[in-house]
Amino acid sequence: LGTTATYTESELVSLLKSRDNKAFSYLYDNYAGALYTIISQVVDDVDAANDVLQEVFVNIWRRIETYDPVKGRLFTWMLNIARNASIDLVRSKSYQNSLRNQSLPQSAEAEFAGSPSIPNIDNIGFRKVLERLKKEHRVLIDLAYFKGYTHEEIAVIEDIPLGTVKTRIRNALIQLREYLK
Amino acid sequence: VNIHEYISSGIVESYVLGLADDAERAEFERMCLLHPEVRAAREAFEISVEKQARTSRLEPPAALKSKILSTIEMEYSAKSDRRSGNTPPPPYMGVARDGQNNDGLSKLKVRRMPVGLQKLIAVAAVVLLVLSTALNFYFFNRYREYNQRYQELLASQTQLVQHNQVLQTRMLDYEKAVEMMKDPGMAIVRMPAMPSAPDPNSATIVYWDTTTKDVYLAVSKLPTPSVNEQYQLWAMVDGKPVDAGVFDLNAGPGMFKMKNIPRAEAFAITLEKKGGSPTPSLDKLYVLGKV
Repeated sequence: LGTTATYTESELVSLLKSRDNKAFSYLYDNYAGALYTIISQVVDDVDAANDVLQEVFVNIWRRIETYDPVKGRLFTWMLNIARNASIDLVRSKSYQNSLRNQSLPQSAEAEFAGSPSIPNIDNIGFRKVLERLKKEHRVLIDLAYFKGYTHEEIAVIEDIPLGTVKTRIRNALIQLREYLK
Repeated sequence: VNIHEYISSGIVESYVLGLADDAERAEFERMCLLHPEVRAAREAFEISVEKQARTSRLEPPAALKSKILSTIEMEYSAKSDRRSGNTPPPPYMGVARDGQNNDGLSKLKVRRMPVGLQKLIAVAAVVLLVLSTALNFYFFNRYREYNQRYQELLASQTQLVQHNQVLQTRMLDYEKAVEMMKDPGMAIVRMPAMPSAPDPNSATIVYWDTTTKDVYLAVSKLPTPSVNEQYQLWAMVDGKPVDAGVFDLNAGPGMFKMKNIPRAEAFAITLEKKGGSPTPSLDKLYVLGKV
């Protein structure tokens, strides 16, 4: 907030590639919140979400050389790293075990009230836009985007044909684009 | 493909949000390079996603920033010392997840390859292995087949060489015989069949070298003896039979060289026990000829 330096995306990328600490601090200030939001929408636990955010920034730092601007914007690249890291954690055995160890009433309460530590999770970020979708679309996007299931897995989970899954997801995405405009 | 249909098919959103599979991603990246409209549509959607994400957001705990920055600083100073040891992951968007086998403890690990590509490589490796095994069998069988043929050829070649040697030896024998017959110093003693001979057509000829006194025998016809019998040539010297050696009919078609006889009035052949006898069995006197 003190420093008012702003960078264009290509300036920022080349500074990051040259391991510029100031640029990295700028990156954090401008994007950590957006990335933390997507992480929190996949990972329920606050401590785990904090760990994932750290993992994500370390990965951005390590892998900035592999970022290819031809294939997409920097934020898209970071967003995908954040989403993948979150889904990987949620699907990991250790995380599944820690969920199982929680006492039942607590998680039932949590389900009822929404996560106690991260309130209003459904009213921010991408989730907020999702709320406007039809239920049959919303369920599939939730499974695909926030839970990371493949189309084939979703067809099994929802017990609907694979072709229908694909069509509905495509239609939902076209809708989302309209809502995001 | 109609570009506008392609753009509005949902592929743009699917790609940007990381929901496209590997084939779709590859196709989309190709289309972006080919058609600026596709790329423009992608960028427009990326910007709207980014805007939305940055305006409506949660803030992480304030203490997290310094923790993350110090982690990175530590890593960087450690890394700059051993830079060359760590190869960076291949350049791609980094959207593939390792999924189920990913342990929550190895949080900071770097993803390397899309799962699809790994599978593809694994499948390709298996296919190549099967193919190479099959080829090994094929070539091994071919090798055995050719080796067998080679051995057969080798055997038949050896046989041909032996046969050739036999023919050459015979030819030399015949040449020698012809030379002898042409020799004017060679006395020829015709030996017709005797009454005691089982075959009246039996006949042999003795060629007797008058200078060296060597005796050669040419058999034109004699009955085949049994295995424990042998023909014996005798020279009649002053009315007494002198052993001139035994011979085998199957020893060859040429002439048999017999013992050297300095003086004789006649030659005769009797059938004797194998190895010959000291005196001739006159009941088996088959041929006789006077000098």
